[in-house]
Amino acid sequence: MTSIAAARIDGWRRTFRDPALFTTVIVLWALLALFILFPLAKLLARTFLDGGQVTLANLAAILRDVNHRQAFWNSLLLAALVGLCGTWLGFVYAFAAVRANLSRAWITVLDAASLLPLISPPFTTAIAMIYSFGPRGLITYHLLGIKGFTVYGLHSTLFSETLTYFPIAYLTLKPILAGIDPNVEDMAFSLGSSRWRVFRTVTLPLTVPGLANAFLLLFAASLADFATPLILAGNSFPVLPTQAYLQITGLFDLKGGAVLSFVLLVPALVVYLLQRYWVSRKHYVTITGKVGAQTTIKSLAPWARAPLLGACLLLAGVILYFYVLLFYASAVVALGANHAWTWRHYQVIFTEGLKAIRDTLVIAGAGMPLGGLYGILLGYLVARKIFPGRQAMEIVSMINYALPGTIVGIAYLIAFNDPPIVLTGTALIIVACYVFRYSPTGIRATVALLQQIDPSIEEASQGLGAGSGTTFRRITLPLILPAFFAGLGVVFIRSMTAISATIFLVSINWTLITVRILENMTELSLGPAAAFSVLVVVIVFAVIVAISGLLRRFRTPGAVDMTSILGG
Amino acid sequence: MSAVGIRLEGISKRFAHRVKGEVYAVRDVSLTVQPAELLTLLGPSGCGKTTTLRMIAGFEQPDAGRVFIGEQDVTGLMANQRNIGFVFQNYALFPHLSVFENVAYGLRVQRQPEQEIARAAGDVLALVGLQGYDRQFPNQLSGGEQQRVALARAIVIRPRVLLFDEPLSNLDAKLRVHMRGELRELQQRLHITAVYVTHDQEEAMAISDRIAVMHQGQIVQEGTAESLYRHPGSEFVAQFIGRTNLLSGRVRSASPGEIELEVAGQHLRLPGDAVRATAGQIVRLVVRPEVIELRPADSPDGIPGTIVSRTFLGEKAEYQVRVGEDLLQVTSYNPVQRGLFTVGQPVRLHFPAEGIQLLPGGPA
Ligand SMILES: Nc1ncnc2c1ncn2[C@@H]1O[C@H](COP(=O)(O)OP(=O)(O)OP(=O)(O)O)[C@@H](O)[C@H]1O
Ligand SMILES: [Mg+2]
Repeated sequence: MTSIAAARIDGWRRTFRDPALFTTVIVLWALLALFILFPLAKLLARTFLDGGQVTLANLAAILRDVNHRQAFWNSLLLAALVGLCGTWLGFVYAFAAVRANLSRAWITVLDAASLLPLISPPFTTAIAMIYSFGPRGLITYHLLGIKGFTVYGLHSTLFSETLTYFPIAYLTLKPILAGIDPNVEDMAFSLGSSRWRVFRTVTLPLTVPGLANAFLLLFAASLADFATPLILAGNSFPVLPTQAYLQITGLFDLKGGAVLSFVLLVPALVVYLLQRYWVSRKHYVTITGKVGAQTTIKSLAPWARAPLLGACLLLAGVILYFYVLLFYASAVVALGANHAWTWRHYQVIFTEGLKAIRDTLVIAGAGMPLGGLYGILLGYLVARKIFPGRQAMEIVSMINYALPGTIVGIAYLIAFNDPPIVLTGTALIIVACYVFRYSPTGIRATVALLQQIDPSIEEASQGLGAGSGTTFRRITLPLILPAFFAGLGVVFIRSMTAISATIFLVSINWTLITVRILENMTELSLGPAAAFSVLVVVIVFAVIVAISGLLRRFRTPGAVDMTSILGG
Repeated sequence: MSAVGIRLEGISKRFAHRVKGEVYAVRDVSLTVQPAELLTLLGPSGCGKTTTLRMIAGFEQPDAGRVFIGEQDVTGLMANQRNIGFVFQNYALFPHLSVFENVAYGLRVQRQPEQEIARAAGDVLALVGLQGYDRQFPNQLSGGEQQRVALARAIVIRPRVLLFDEPLSNLDAKLRVHMRGELRELQQRLHITAVYVTHDQEEAMAISDRIAVMHQGQIVQEGTAESLYRHPGSEFVAQFIGRTNLLSGRVRSASPGEIELEVAGQHLRLPGDAVRATAGQIVRLVVRPEVIELRPADSPDGIPGTIVSRTFLGEKAEYQVRVGEDLLQVTSYNPVQRGLFTVGQPVRLHFPAEGIQLLPGGPA
């Protein structure tokens, strides 16, 4: 018998003998099958099956439409540009934060500004863009007096997405740049290199894998973005997620939507696999054991500090301006026309909009503990237990996270609309969508935390007579609580801010704030949209503060912190 | 409760290896540990000691063979069903629980009444000398104190056997010597069977009733410290237990009961019952440094040599002596009275026949 076969049989034997493990594995697989594999299979079936026959006709029909082909190329172009611009911006920002000897206060300002886009509902920058650069825009019309400036198109979408997603690049690159031992740079200086040369030959090459990683993350984020292009791209610049959405909501063509989302799936999957299995494994270890003599960082010439800081503050300023504008818009009658203070918009959202607020909070509140629990259970199993199909479980659990929300939403819509499982119109379908889409952060946090906890601690518990259930409850769980909080925090935040998947799943019974924001915007009632957005930012901010507090309380060595989680 | 023994019957464990495909960590190990005995698994790093111990504990499943604790076949049982006490090298204390709760953990798992838990945990903490530490947390303890908590946690559940995986290797040298005395005393007081893993031969000799020497996944010899020292069965054991000189000699004649050898030009007669040898054969000899006697160069017999280095340690002096091609280690006790030799000085080495062992198996 080969050792692999033997190990597999051993794995089965162990799993069967441990009832708690066995049950958990079965239940998790059932959930993964139902909420990840089944919808995806249904989506593929819709795309490739016709009357029981495998066919490429659906695909061909969609691709024959020049508009759809254009959307495909547009999507790739936009994603590549956002990837480039965002990575560049993130790099400059990170370089300023960790290698320019800035004081703590400046770094805090930069950090705060970069956090805002991560916790905002999707239309925030888009709304602010329209207020600033739209037909009656504060800047274009009122300040500069330009008439006929079109805010819609590639340029605005690119600008808005770059601003929204560059923090991901910042968070990815910051630890890498911070990890470069100043002594390594000193070494190069001592060999007679100029600063610029050191930057080119030492700093930059050490950062290249990080740059590639950031680029792919931004590429994926932009590819999946639905909200920004819906508002800003306009008719002249169709992209795939919006095309798929319009195909379904405008033309009621579920099959067309399915095929379009399949077209989107291919590049998304390629980028995800590249990022996960190639680039993110290629990082250099630059921390050279014990940090040698503390030396000051000399990466930057003194004269270059001020302009660099200035550029970063300008960027931070733009972000802050957008948010101040958003708040202002929510508190005046009509921004750009009538600037009298009013509570009207808030009255609207707390009366007409109250149902959406209540529904969103119920859904986010329900998804939070479920997502947290699911995240640590699955993370614990894949990190610690040996059972058949462990790796497959990890991969499957990441699918809905890796796929653009539009695809997941359409897949859910197709899968749970007809018997055997009808969930359309329920809160459950929205909760499930969020839990399985956003828990992977918690899963990864759990795995990362467990890698730092010696397995012998769990064996000690087992040796003292505790079964795997007891060991998990009494020993492991308390030790991975930080991952639990992080996981449920992310599920909550995304439940408050996401729209791309759930826009397909809302109903008369259950709706969401983000969907109401979209409706408000299409009805051109920007005031309530701004008020809703402000509300979301405030709630999310409060939750982040609460969770950061909990994380500090349950701090264990090497625990995750909130900002690093939001990036992923 | 009377102590129970442990029996391993031909257990093996393979692990996947990235380069070599799969390797045996433990290969066909059979071993019997008597009730209330402390047996040490001794061997160099990577020889499979921990793996063997973990199979006794149930943390690892053997690929082949059976494990018995007492008369019970526990091969198929999980660790939590075996009633063992395991002390880990890194202690593996529960970092989020106080000292008291660490010790009480096993009792809580057994759902003992609260009173009984308080009593038993208190008793055991007193036994290991940690009264008053109940409320401390592991990260507030010194290494030695953590070690005691780990021990208390293991014995409080009255396990059938105690298993130690290099429990002292994280302590400094002095404390290590002190703690091993305490461990041994406790094991005897509790009258409990114990298996102890270490790669430190001195520790093994100090603490054990018996030692099993492991090499490349197999047990190569077992016995008391004394018997292993006096009758090593292989060069490996000879070198691993104590310090040794390995010399080659030629058999001049072999008759029942006696072998005559030529070693470095000197003729030796050894009682040769244990070893089969034929005239002309080359054999290996184990000569411990302390049996060699150094005499001045003008003494009548002995092998001539030259002192290469000397380390004076008070109660003893350690020399390296060049004899022909070989460098021999010689330890001389009470050197102040017996006289010190200086580096470069020619000497004669005297091997008493009774201090020399022949290794079986002929030429190496
Ligand atoms: N989980 C594992 N996977 C793969 N190989 C392993 C595993 N555990 C042990 N091994 C291998 O088995 C062999 C024996 O390991 P073991 O831990 O039993 O050695 P040891 O005698 O305890 O060594 P040390 O004194 O260094 O602790 C080693 O070669 C080791 O690399
Ligand atoms: Mg070991």
